Amino acid sequence: MGGLFSRLLSRLWGSKEVRILILGLDGAGKTTILYRFQIGEVVTTIPTVGFNVETVTYKNIKFQVWDLGGQTSIRPYWRCYYANTDAIIYVVDSADRDRVSTSKEELMAMLEEEELRDAALLVLANKQDQEGAMSHTEVSDALGLTMLKNRTWTIYKCSAKTGEGLTDSLDWLVNVVSGGAK
Amino acid sequence: MYTLLSGLYKQYTQKEEYYVIILGLDNAGKTTLLEKIKSIYMGVAGLPPEKIAPTVGLNIGKVDMPNNSRVNFWDLGGQRELHSIWEKYYTECHAIVFVVDSTDSERIEEVKDTFDRVISNDIIEGVPVLMLANKQDHAEALKVHDIKELFNPIAVKLGARDSKVLPVSALAGDGVREAIDWLCTRLERNKTNRPPVFRNR
Repeated sequence: MGGLFSRLLSRLWGSKEVRILILGLDGAGKTTILYRFQIGEVVTTIPTVGFNVETVTYKNIKFQVWDLGGQTSIRPYWRCYYANTDAIIYVVDSADRDRVSTSKEELMAMLEEEELRDAALLVLANKQDQEGAMSHTEVSDALGLTMLKNRTWTIYKCSAKTGEGLTDSLDWLVNVVSGGAK
Repeated sequence: MYTLLSGLYKQYTQKEEYYVIILGLDNAGKTTLLEKIKSIYMGVAGLPPEKIAPTVGLNIGKVDMPNNSRVNFWDLGGQRELHSIWEKYYTECHAIVFVVDSTDSERIEEVKDTFDRVISNDIIEGVPVLMLANKQDHAEALKVHDIKELFNPIAVKLGARDSKVLPVSALAGDGVREAIDWLCTRLERNKTNRPPVFRNR
């Protein structure tokens, strides 16, 4: 009953809460991106052990954004957060060519999960400000994104440092979660 | 007896699923078309056209048709560097919708080349092709017979497959229903060549 009321109320007030996970290898820039979204500034981060969670309101939509630590030892815990996720932001360090295959493996393993079946995927090819960074098409090929046939996905190049590409990617998220594009 | 029963069971519990790719140059109106299809058949509001940004990855529309089958639309990015992605979806697709911006006569040669390359691909031989002359809400848009004339030299490569050119306005929704109806009958008709996927309900 309470659930019904809260659903009715949220419908009346129109602000919808959306659950987003930010995932990716360690050092990809997940936490920097999270705080870019939230306060619009570059913050100095330390490797995340555990998670950061923030609410970001953008275009009348409340995003509850979970940024999970990316180190090898804590990746197995990602799955504890999968339930009820609307969209995944997967961050890739475009300058780290050596580990892009590891990134692919983690991504593909994650997408196999039943709980994420209906989640849309936004890939951010981060660190475009660095020299020798892979273009977003290169990242897309390296991750094998075109193998995805049952999921709405996109890829944006971005730089958490300069802020390039982040607003566009948020706009895409807004469209996907509001238009039911999944 | 078992076969009969299991057949009946399947009839009630399984759904035929088809996959259709929506192709065309950038700014042809592919995503707008997909949103319109969703709003017509699924009753969801769909994205307002001014909100639609160029597609880079893949948009999916799962649409339940009146004939009880489900059609999954794959709307792919139309920018030149993304054309290589299209082929990755050919093996599983049951039909192709090719959207043309009828108001953009400057790029018509590019459209022709692209269309030529699509239909010449062996993987999708025999797959029904529906060409949509989009943006008919514009007065200066090329009409269907103009488009047909332009594409006639390439059309011989279509071979024996089902194909058609239809006028639509993805923005206003004119002609969309007719187009999708045509598509559904062709999917059904081409069943023996490209059987649908069965999915449990």
